[in-house]
Amino acid sequence: MFDNLPTLLDGLAMTCVLTVLAMTIGIVVGLLVALMRLSPWRILGLPAHGFTELFRTTPLLVQVVWVYTVLPLTIGVTLSPFLSGLTALGLNVAAFMAEIFRSGITSVDRGQNHAALALGMTHAQTMRRIVLPQAVLRMVPPMAAMWVALFKDTSILATIGVVELMYQARYLASDTFRPLEIFTAVGVIYFLLTYPQSLLVNRMYERFRVRE
Amino acid sequence: MMQGTTALWNFGVVTQNIAYLLAGLEMTILLTVVSLLLGVLIGLLIAVARMSRFAALRLLAGFYIDVWRSTPFLAQILWVFFAFPILTGIPMSAFTAGIVTLSCHASAYLAEVFRAGIQSIPGGQRHAALALGMTRLQAARRIVLPQAITRMLPAIGNQAINLVKESALVSVINLQELMWYAQSLAGFTMRSVEILSAVALIYAALTLPQAILVNYLHRRYAVS
Repeated sequence: MFDNLPTLLDGLAMTCVLTVLAMTIGIVVGLLVALMRLSPWRILGLPAHGFTELFRTTPLLVQVVWVYTVLPLTIGVTLSPFLSGLTALGLNVAAFMAEIFRSGITSVDRGQNHAALALGMTHAQTMRRIVLPQAVLRMVPPMAAMWVALFKDTSILATIGVVELMYQARYLASDTFRPLEIFTAVGVIYFLLTYPQSLLVNRMYERFRVRE
Repeated sequence: MMQGTTALWNFGVVTQNIAYLLAGLEMTILLTVVSLLLGVLIGLLIAVARMSRFAALRLLAGFYIDVWRSTPFLAQILWVFFAFPILTGIPMSAFTAGIVTLSCHASAYLAEVFRAGIQSIPGGQRHAALALGMTRLQAARRIVLPQAITRMLPAIGNQAINLVKESALVSVINLQELMWYAQSLAGFTMRSVEILSAVALIYAALTLPQAILVNYLHRRYAVS
């Protein structure tokens, strides 16, 4: 088991890279989608709504396999397992992020918006000075929770051959015929990395609790 | 099985193989329903243990919850199917492993839902009930639980949705549910575009009504 630790650590590095990249894509695309959904134009709002519903109602495994096998066949773009996995994961996170952004912004009491406008601020000023500073604080805990979920979800990319922690584990388990030791070790690795993050998320929920 | 045009988006392949997809759908629904029921039962026990007067029980229940919530589902299903039988000598079919993993996974999340729901009822209500001469059981049954359950309903609904989606992952141990049939058919018919798209829609059709119901419950039982 310990001889194979470097292999597992290699996989772990890939897991971390995937988490960071997918989160970045998720935040950027998610923000865009949230803005589209909040815009007064239905032509922007409807596709954004469809996007979030589609990615939130289907299993991540289906999304990953779909991007990996269907994109090359339909638009002729062949992506490596890494790129297609990252795309699917990033878009999945984006859908959940968009909802976090949207509910954060709409959760700020409308009266504040009206009061700021009544005081003579422009829409942009109201957004920047009044709504966003409060909304961002409320978005932090769910975003952190999303990060923890994402860290675990990267394991699904093993099914299309992205060489991350879970892939290495399955490879080693069949290579060494020691599934008990390998899978237990991998479970422990995931636990040791995820659990402190979950504790942090809990503290954030306490810290940023909104009292109205 | 494959016939007709070779053009893209030939959904004939889906209708020709609909019987397989429906068999898979049946298994997906069976897995979800059974695991949700077992998850609620186990989750209740864990939640009670988590709130027990005995520190050992509390610690044990907390450890159970943290382990299931801090590891990926894929790692759990592979461990239960491949490692657990070696450890205990108990043979596991794919179906048993799927049910066990989905139920235990859901139970950890549900235990926290139950605990949060029960603890969200102000302690004063329980004290008042006890002061009026109710036993602890009566106070729980008549005062605390009726209020707590309505607050838990949306979260339980969310867990049901998650179970539908997570059950797709048990295809990796060759349990023949919707995703397993989808991937086999996609390989067999060479029409992965149509099969996988159709299956994505089937999943959406399965979870979307639940999501709408959860939203309704959220609004209906919103605590003001």
